[in-house]
Amino acid sequence: MQKLKNYVNGEWVDSETKEWGDIRCPATGEKIAEVPYSTSADVDKAVQAAREAFWDWRCTPPMTRMRYFFKLKELLEKSFEDIARTLVVEEGKTLDESRGEVRRMIENVEHATGVTTMMTGYNLEDISQGIDCTAERQPVGVFGVIAPFNFPAMVPWWFLPYAVVAGNTYLVKPSEQVPMTQARIFEVVDECNFPEGVVNMVHGSRDVVNAMLNHPQIAGISFVGQSSTARHVYKVCGETGKRVQSLGGAKNFLLVMPDADLEKGMPSIMTSFYGCAGERCLSGSVLVAVGDVYDRLKEKFVAASKALKVGNGLVEGVQMGPLVSQKHMDKVLGYIEKGIREGAKLILDGRNVKVEGCPNGFYIGPTIFDEVDPSMTIAREEIFGPVVSIVRVKNFDEGLKLIDNSEYGNAACLYTTNGCTAREFKYRAGASMLGINVGIAAPMAYFPFGGMKGSFYGDIKGHGREVFQFFTNTKVVIQRW
Amino acid sequence: MALNTFGAIMGFAGQVAGDALAVYREALPKVKNPDLRGILETLAREEEKNCALMEQARRENVTEMILEPVTGLERDSYTIDANLGNGSIDSDFLKAALIFEERAERFFREASAKMPVPEVARIFRKVAKKKEANCIALKAVDLS
Repeated sequence: MQKLKNYVNGEWVDSETKEWGDIRCPATGEKIAEVPYSTSADVDKAVQAAREAFWDWRCTPPMTRMRYFFKLKELLEKSFEDIARTLVVEEGKTLDESRGEVRRMIENVEHATGVTTMMTGYNLEDISQGIDCTAERQPVGVFGVIAPFNFPAMVPWWFLPYAVVAGNTYLVKPSEQVPMTQARIFEVVDECNFPEGVVNMVHGSRDVVNAMLNHPQIAGISFVGQSSTARHVYKVCGETGKRVQSLGGAKNFLLVMPDADLEKGMPSIMTSFYGCAGERCLSGSVLVAVGDVYDRLKEKFVAASKALKVGNGLVEGVQMGPLVSQKHMDKVLGYIEKGIREGAKLILDGRNVKVEGCPNGFYIGPTIFDEVDPSMTIAREEIFGPVVSIVRVKNFDEGLKLIDNSEYGNAACLYTTNGCTAREFKYRAGASMLGINVGIAAPMAYFPFGGMKGSFYGDIKGHGREVFQFFTNTKVVIQRW
Repeated sequence: MALNTFGAIMGFAGQVAGDALAVYREALPKVKNPDLRGILETLAREEEKNCALMEQARRENVTEMILEPVTGLERDSYTIDANLGNGSIDSDFLKAALIFEERAERFFREASAKMPVPEVARIFRKVAKKKEANCIALKAVDLS
């Protein structure tokens, strides 16, 4: 049985803790590893190592720092399949989805190597006669990420490469539910021979989070998780004077117009609702049928949902894997119960899905509620599972109002063949990541990732060009000679 | 079995190349006709490249955003019978090579139309075109 270690100051070390958690394979329910619930002392050791490493690393030329990431990219490509398979085993998504996640992780490493362009400042001569001014970007210190369970490979790497290539040092806290993927990635990091203390990883749960949020020598935190925690992280970081980018949950609406090309759009609508078993902040959750598209849309969507193959993500041809844990599965089942109790019509029930050879896996099949009223719990709260609510609206404006009324503002999608409607949607929709005839509006490494309203707390979002602002301080120098 | 995902198609594409490579490698030391040997050497090199190309394409072009379900491609429709028998006569090797190249041409052509990732669809079309040319070259071999 694998017992995970922390990675501190360039070495694999045991946690001081006596508390351990079990890691279970979601496809089979079997225990596959144990993760330490590290202590605040473990966190402090990692932060001290990162502090020690900071000055030398900060003085290392950006080109040299960048080369570590070129090497890392090559090493990650070699371990690509192994990382993807580890991800399937501990998180449950399909092999294709895992490969897609690892690819997006590597794309962030690639994008961060543009540091010599993206980190530059600016200057202006003669701001007064004979006086020149420069604005220079400088690294700040130790940063850290608190990562969620749904993208265990990718999410820490929305932040780490940019922070480190900019000259900061770093601490990763993987989700305690899925720590093995990041542990595998850190084996590759170790091969890369970063200077000791530049990148560190501490496993754990609530104690590690609190220790990071309250540590006086951590300059900034990136968080991804549910909205209530995101709000808490934002608040505590404010109190402790940290920079913070805190990405929360979502309730995403897919508006389908009467003029939509359903034939063409259906595969991406399916991916939106059922990809990663609905466990992603960009997943569709409410399917909004605008006007008379309702009957056609429902018929096609239900038929396609019934045909979806559910199973162990390692098996070829499986299109949707299990949920991450028994606890999360129970939560999703609770929402299905609530939907029935509140009067929605269950037209496809995924609760009794059977997967051959995996009787103890955490499976829920595609589940569809029809006749959902926007006031119902299932139409308002984040479910994070393969549960779809179909809502009917009379027109486009009524559909937009649903998005605006939501407490979340992460993603929203529109299916149409009308450019004017698409333009109106882009202009008015109250969410930050929009898809037009695209079901998963996922910004790539070179665009910012993050929502608005209850889906995001902070100013600067994940990756994209702007993220260098989060990881640097702009120093203004005014000179006269 | 349905080839209903990007990964399933790419896995099968790798298998199509790998199957052919194994047969060409087995045949090469036994082939007597120099023209046929020359072509099989070229085909073996090509399949080696194709195996690597399919692996690379699967790794580098997987886009989580457009991992959409694929319909209308079945593994069974590309099942072939390429038994080499005793595997000692050049005509058997020629016949087997034709079967493998024709199968690959048909698979890559048909799969390119279903492939949701344009860059991979382009690679498939390119491979299919090469396979078409290989079939013409094999049919022109004179063993008499």
